[in-house]
Amino acid sequence: MDTLIEVKNLTLKFKTDEGLITAVEDVSFSLNRGEVMGLVGESGSGKSVTAKSLMNLNAMNAVYSPESSITLHSAQEEIDVLSLKKPADLKVVRGGAISMIFQEPMASFAPSITIGKQMIEQLQLHSDMSKQKAREISIEMLDRVGISDPSRRVDQYAFELSGGMRQRAMIAMALSTKPRLLIADEPTTALDVTIQAQVLDLMKDLVKDFNMSIIFITHDLGVVAQTADKVSVMYLGRIIEEGSVRDVINSPKHPYTKGMLAALPRLDDLDSPLKPIPGDIPSPLERPSGCVFNTRCGEVLGDQCSADIPSFTSFGKSRRVACHLYKDGSGA
Amino acid sequence: MLQFGKFVLTRAFLAALTLVIISLVVFTLMEFVPGDCAERYLAFKNTQGSGISVEDIEIERKRLGLDKPFVQRWTLWIVNAFQGEFGDSCILRVNIAQLLGTKFWLSLGICLSSLLLAYMIALPVGIISAASSNAYLNNGLKLISYLGLAMPNFLLALMIMLFSTIYFGDTLTGLFSKEYRDAEWSMDKFIDLLKHAWLPIFILGWSATAFALQTVRALMSDEIGKLYVTAAAARGIYGRRLLWRYPARHALSPIVNSLGFDLNRVFNELPIVALILTLTDAGALLIESLARSNDQQLAGAIIFLLTATIVSLNFLTDVLLAILDPRIRKSLIN
Repeated sequence: MDTLIEVKNLTLKFKTDEGLITAVEDVSFSLNRGEVMGLVGESGSGKSVTAKSLMNLNAMNAVYSPESSITLHSAQEEIDVLSLKKPADLKVVRGGAISMIFQEPMASFAPSITIGKQMIEQLQLHSDMSKQKAREISIEMLDRVGISDPSRRVDQYAFELSGGMRQRAMIAMALSTKPRLLIADEPTTALDVTIQAQVLDLMKDLVKDFNMSIIFITHDLGVVAQTADKVSVMYLGRIIEEGSVRDVINSPKHPYTKGMLAALPRLDDLDSPLKPIPGDIPSPLERPSGCVFNTRCGEVLGDQCSADIPSFTSFGKSRRVACHLYKDGSGA
Repeated sequence: MLQFGKFVLTRAFLAALTLVIISLVVFTLMEFVPGDCAERYLAFKNTQGSGISVEDIEIERKRLGLDKPFVQRWTLWIVNAFQGEFGDSCILRVNIAQLLGTKFWLSLGICLSSLLLAYMIALPVGIISAASSNAYLNNGLKLISYLGLAMPNFLLALMIMLFSTIYFGDTLTGLFSKEYRDAEWSMDKFIDLLKHAWLPIFILGWSATAFALQTVRALMSDEIGKLYVTAAAARGIYGRRLLWRYPARHALSPIVNSLGFDLNRVFNELPIVALILTLTDAGALLIESLARSNDQQLAGAIIFLLTATIVSLNFLTDVLLAILDPRIRKSLIN
């Protein structure tokens, strides 16, 4: 399998009135063609910011460290995403090779422009096709994602569609330009559980059909378990554990991942108490020194947790954990 | 399309109904003024030296139809008012429609021009400043608009007049030069009007601009932060297209919505500015009829015309909103 996108040492701070706020710190991962990756973490863990970096879409006050690099491998060339400055050059990572769908499909469509016009606009922006052709493709895509009567729906506004329908339309729009990577930022959080399953199934189908990779951003491990091949767990801007979905969910190693899995409500034992991870996610202005999780961790070893940033310990090919519990190479 | 026509008709009917209710209020208020038109005129005559008896007043009252019941008089007044006919002024004894004719249009022209000026400045500046992250630009604009909001119009008018008197020897008052004041309308008279009218337009437009700028900026900042703008950027849309087609287009509806209020405010400020600049427009006439001569007939006519204008503008903005915003349009149709 060949690599589609490679993120190396991504560190990103936001310049604010209170000073520099670290949103993402030293994040590295790579994604192969056709692979589905889950990016899991609480809100504020930096997962959305990481994903937006792939499209160079973060706010104007974002400062990337000089070591950060994001490389998109396409058939002909390698694109250094963070070096793209001109909006016209950015098109390739914004809606061209990479598309993004958002948590709230209602809010992601401009309310006073029809769905069709927004789809046609995007298609024409990324190719030189005629308006007529772009409209045909839009209708085809709406049909492909299971929207009934697409030639009528194409001229409707987002507020005229139901929630699940909007998310389908959003997916249709995102995929119309045939991107190689789809970033889905909590795509099912705003949907009913039943609709959620339909949308997830649809996305799984589309990945195969379009031979596309997906980055799933979510706080819902259930969604990851159903859809992703591999998963990276983020906490306060750092990846603290990663591996195949099966490995991470069946045998979590980092205390945070363990805590997150233990916190899931259990349907098979309704009397068991919920076990939340104690404490709150610290303010990004007061990042803990050492391991970012040491202020809430139940398995703190001592001074080293608050003094040294743990390095990754590998367990097998793609499994890595950043925790002092696991000494380098020991694999315990 | 049919539904849209129905909507326009319904709104027009509601606007007319509003006017009828307003006319009732205005007419009732006119009644509350102590004394009536007959008494006032004859009292006025008395001060001019003519001897007046109680019988004279009674005869005058009959002549004016003031002896008829309230409802009947109101009905007559409102029916005439809708045809632009307001009877005679109590004191001046001339037809109000003729007296007001040009003056009213002049006032309306000044108010609408200042509103136009305000939005011609506020729309682009507000939109661009909301989109810009330049702190100097934004703070500078804030300062200017706070000045506009804080400084009373009459003070600005006085300052400009003082300045102009000292440096140009011209007080900049009035709407026409002497030679055109009573002349027939001509191109020259119109140009002369423009030479004078810019000052009231500027003064009224000054605070209107400050207000409009605040509105536009706030609405734009709100709109720019919305997800659909980020989503559009994520689809590769950029630059002017991203600014104007997305947030600016969507901020327009609430801006249109605020037009009615703005005209209302400008109207409120007009009489004071007119007084200071000694404009011979309807604003000055309103003050004159209310404050000095107690001419209830004339004051009522002016107030009715002003409110009618505001009601009409609100009707227009409602229709415009329905055209601009599919959510409103579709909710009407279904």
